[in-house]
Amino acid sequence: MFPGIDGFHWTVGHVIFLSLFFAVVATILATLVFAVLRTKRDFRTNRAIELCWKSDFAELPESDRRCRHELAGRVVSRACDNAFNCRRCGKYAQFAVLPATGLTRDLGLHYPEDRLYHRGHTWVKPAEDGTFTVGLDELADHLVGSPDSIELPKAGCEIELNQTAWRMKKNGREIDVRAPIEGTIVAVGGPEQGWYLKVRPRLDPKDPVTLRHLLRGPEVHGWVLREMERLQMQLRAPNSPAALADGGVLLSGLMDAVPDADWDSVLADTFLTM
Amino acid sequence: MASGALTDSSLTDRKWIARGEERTSLPRFLLWLTPWAALLAVGVYAAGLCLDFGLNQTNMDNRFAFGLWIFLDLGVIALGAGAFFTGFLVYILKRAELKPILNTAVVVGFICYSGAVAILMIDVGQPLRAWFTFWHPNTHSMLTEVTFCISCYLLVLCLEYIPILLRNRQLRKLPSFLVFEHQLHKLVPVLAGVGTLLSFFHQGSLGGLYGVLRGRPFAFRDGVFIWPSTFFLFILSAIATGPSFLMLVAATVEKVTRRRLMPADLFRRLGFISGLLLAIYVAAKSIDTLIWLNFTSPSAGFAPWQYYTHKPFGTPILFTEIVLFGLLPAFLLTYRKTATRRAWLLSAAALACAGVLLNRFVLTVQTLAVPTLAFDEFLQYTPSWQEVASFSGVIAYGVIVYSLSYRYLPLFTPAKGESNHVSGN
Repeated sequence: MFPGIDGFHWTVGHVIFLSLFFAVVATILATLVFAVLRTKRDFRTNRAIELCWKSDFAELPESDRRCRHELAGRVVSRACDNAFNCRRCGKYAQFAVLPATGLTRDLGLHYPEDRLYHRGHTWVKPAEDGTFTVGLDELADHLVGSPDSIELPKAGCEIELNQTAWRMKKNGREIDVRAPIEGTIVAVGGPEQGWYLKVRPRLDPKDPVTLRHLLRGPEVHGWVLREMERLQMQLRAPNSPAALADGGVLLSGLMDAVPDADWDSVLADTFLTM
Repeated sequence: MASGALTDSSLTDRKWIARGEERTSLPRFLLWLTPWAALLAVGVYAAGLCLDFGLNQTNMDNRFAFGLWIFLDLGVIALGAGAFFTGFLVYILKRAELKPILNTAVVVGFICYSGAVAILMIDVGQPLRAWFTFWHPNTHSMLTEVTFCISCYLLVLCLEYIPILLRNRQLRKLPSFLVFEHQLHKLVPVLAGVGTLLSFFHQGSLGGLYGVLRGRPFAFRDGVFIWPSTFFLFILSAIATGPSFLMLVAATVEKVTRRRLMPADLFRRLGFISGLLLAIYVAAKSIDTLIWLNFTSPSAGFAPWQYYTHKPFGTPILFTEIVLFGLLPAFLLTYRKTATRRAWLLSAAALACAGVLLNRFVLTVQTLAVPTLAFDEFLQYTPSWQEVASFSGVIAYGVIVYSLSYRYLPLFTPAKGESNHVSGN
């Protein structure tokens, strides 16, 4: 058939058929190569991290993707379509000036106002020296209780916003905690210290945009209230009707107290993991 | 507490299943897979016998060279047409409402085509020399076109399957997989276009293969330029029944899992597309049959009734193919009162799929069975156990791959998943 094969001679049929065939094969292979090259480029330009988070964000249930302004009662209903990136949200300024109308009541959890909160249940507290202290918020703390083991990054390591900051193990389950801020780790703590990481931010710590994506003030209350409601629904006894308790405070060490719950879903929804 | 945690973490595959998705327990799932795995094992053994000892393991011979395997190939390739056709509708014609069935269409297509290629490999034999067909192609043969197009299209289906595979809950945790999935998914419209081109030609060439058989006037047809009418009829029948088969697959999964996976409206939409195309196919097939009865066959020296004197291939088979499995489902799928009732809709889809299978059976088996020469006799062929086992093995393979895909991959969530794919270059 091809040159080098006995008796081969080109005909119009050969040219048409083989041209079409090889054009198709070339298109298929080029598609594959193109995808590989673009993947490499995304890693080279650090776009891969953003893509991964956006992809994970899109997989979150609708209830986890509510806009901070809805949580604060500034708007009636709004789903975030910006992967919680309020730094680049075109609507942020428009809604932020509206008065918060959400009701406040005591949730039995302590969320100090000098801290800012990430939806993955971590907090950030700016320090005088320009570093940020990062810890686990009280709801997550109550949920996990005392972790069986913790895998913290070393000082000097870089962490990326919304990527895994540290890992915990509890009752055989791995819990990935997402980083609330990007930067270099300058110190490592733990549950005993009440904080997990001290981070020197990559962006200017004095620029208000650096921490804009984190929840604060009335947004925190609205968010925690919904998280509590979700938890109550998820931790109710199997086959029991949906009902919300109207009192009481969250137990500490829920993973130990309610071992038969669907912790797979609870942890995924709490820590925004897949 | 410890035992609960142990049960959850080590004796289940929960962490491989997408969050929020309910699946049966792992032991029950394995129990479901066991008989299919056994069937597949028997099929692999039978295929091994055929590859080791040759086609003497089958009941085919030089006179009856096409049998159960070719019927299976033609059947699954027609039913698997839903993959390319859905891709064509979604990506080329921008029918976004069909997205929820897209992933299932890709998996069904992948199963059908990989199964067909596996059976072809056993049928042709000597897989180590498979590359010969690409190095020494007979460019005048419809089968060469079929071989090239099916090989390429299987490659396309593999590339379309990869993004679905990489969205598995654990695999997506690897950033390189997730980003590659994202980039490959963005290029899927290119693959959908290539897949449409390839499918158009190989579906057509499979039909053309019979239409050019001058020595078999039962199958021989006139046509346009180099393409006999069967070329176009095969394309039409495949794209008409592909959506019906997808409906049946989705409905079967819904029944087995007792979950609603697709909106009722999507069933009706698929049914209408299928019914409309089936109506066009029945009209074309009827015209083709009339031309064949009145002109093509007589000009070859055969009175058409001669073909239908050999039982069980009497005229009822022609009536069944065109009216019972063609016209009737076309009506049921498009008529508003029946199309809005699930039972009617699915029954009609089953009839349409039976119709395309009967058509492929008739063209494969009846064509070879009826005598064409004065000294010829009506031939009977019964497949050997090795042929049946290989056939069953492919069915089992399909069930296993689909079951695994349904359990671990997002098959019915693309309406959300499609929007999941972040924008950007």
